[in-house]
Amino acid sequence: MIGIVVVSHSPALAEAAVALALEMAGSAPPTIVVAAGVADGVGASATGTDAVRVAAAIDEAASPDGVLVFMDLGSAVLSASMALEFRESECEVRLSAAPFVEGIVAGVVLAAAGATLDDADREASGAMIAKNAQLDGPGEGGAASSVPPAGENSDAVAEATVVNEVGVHARPAALIVAKAAGFDARVTIADADDPTRSAPAGSLLVLMGLGLAKGTRLRFTGSGPDAAAAVEALRAMTADGFGET
Amino acid sequence: MTVAGDTVTLDQLVEWLHRFRTLVVENQQYLTELDSAIGDADHGSNMARGMNAVAEKLETPEAVDSLFKTVGMTLVSSVGGASGPLYGTFFLRIGTTAGAVTELDAGALSAALRAGLAGVVARGKAEPGDKTMLDAMLPALDALDASIAAGADLADASAAAFTAAQAGRDDTEDLVARKGRASYLGERSAGHLDPGATSTVYLFQALAGALGGLPE
Repeated sequence: MIGIVVVSHSPALAEAAVALALEMAGSAPPTIVVAAGVADGVGASATGTDAVRVAAAIDEAASPDGVLVFMDLGSAVLSASMALEFRESECEVRLSAAPFVEGIVAGVVLAAAGATLDDADREASGAMIAKNAQLDGPGEGGAASSVPPAGENSDAVAEATVVNEVGVHARPAALIVAKAAGFDARVTIADADDPTRSAPAGSLLVLMGLGLAKGTRLRFTGSGPDAAAAVEALRAMTADGFGET
Repeated sequence: MTVAGDTVTLDQLVEWLHRFRTLVVENQQYLTELDSAIGDADHGSNMARGMNAVAEKLETPEAVDSLFKTVGMTLVSSVGGASGPLYGTFFLRIGTTAGAVTELDAGALSAALRAGLAGVVARGKAEPGDKTMLDAMLPALDALDASIAAGADLADASAAAFTAAQAGRDDTEDLVARKGRASYLGERSAGHLDPGATSTVYLFQALAGALGGLPE
């Protein structure tokens, strides 16, 4: 499982963002290490970032699967890039361009679902696309318009009804993203009764934003070499309630 | 020009840092005022906190590289703002470039400062004219090198660097910021001196003081 590092000027901001992400991450969250604030010289903490603390946080979160680092603004980015020179661990480390809160939520949830560093990084960085899509509404720009229409270039189609009580919330969405990433296929998930409500199977935040409730009939449309296997896998996990009741 | 010579000793480098700390602390309020106009009003307090922490660790350094490693690491873990990684990188690169020596001749001093400048550029990705510390540092080093090339001693060369840094800082007043928090203001950042360029002037004022380039 990838490790997560959160770099902020403010310990309170970092802890709150992590707490929000943990609410959605299920019972086996990744290692998350916060590096926030700076020693004020008289034994307390001041607003700021400390590259040495960030380096220590990266070493603490180090994992063979890599570490994904989220930063707030300004010196947090400079301190994190400097920390790459100071750290002693040798695993891959990625500084995420994602917006702070959305990035942490996506990164933590995806890490918990077993996503690779590449997938977690790409998905977290796409957080602004998901937010734009939410603001514009379906089909009016942002990610929604980038979703290929169902039925076009499709090599495989399957349907399943959402049976678990809370619908496709963060954890099921993360499982879908992690599962879909294992196939050489491009899969779109849509509400079969309202196909304008659709999302790429790789996009955690867009999927979550759809608010697919219990009873919704999902249509999985796949293209590419593994399309049949991918849509079957997603259909099966949906029918199974994502392991929930 | 009583201290001037062809080499810079470890004691003079320590004096440079003490003088820089004194100037930063004395002008803490002024730096913060400049920063409150176009930034987040913490440059003075951040730099004072950082250089006060540095000053506590300057006793009996063994060599130039270990001295500046201590200075750089202390700044990155005590300043808090962007100037921590930027000044921290500046001093760390000076140390690694100078090596485990106890004095620097003019060429070695210039090479070390140039490496520090390159570190600042790599870290902050600023270019000349972006209204940053670079706009004082680059002309200062150009003036230092030109003076050395013209045969000046280190006292005069450091004085020339200080003068050029001041001119560079003054020129930041009309610039529109393209880096850091000030860049959020766009055109409204013009009409204010850049706080980072201003603290960089103190850096070269302190160097000139330590190398005998200021009138007693």
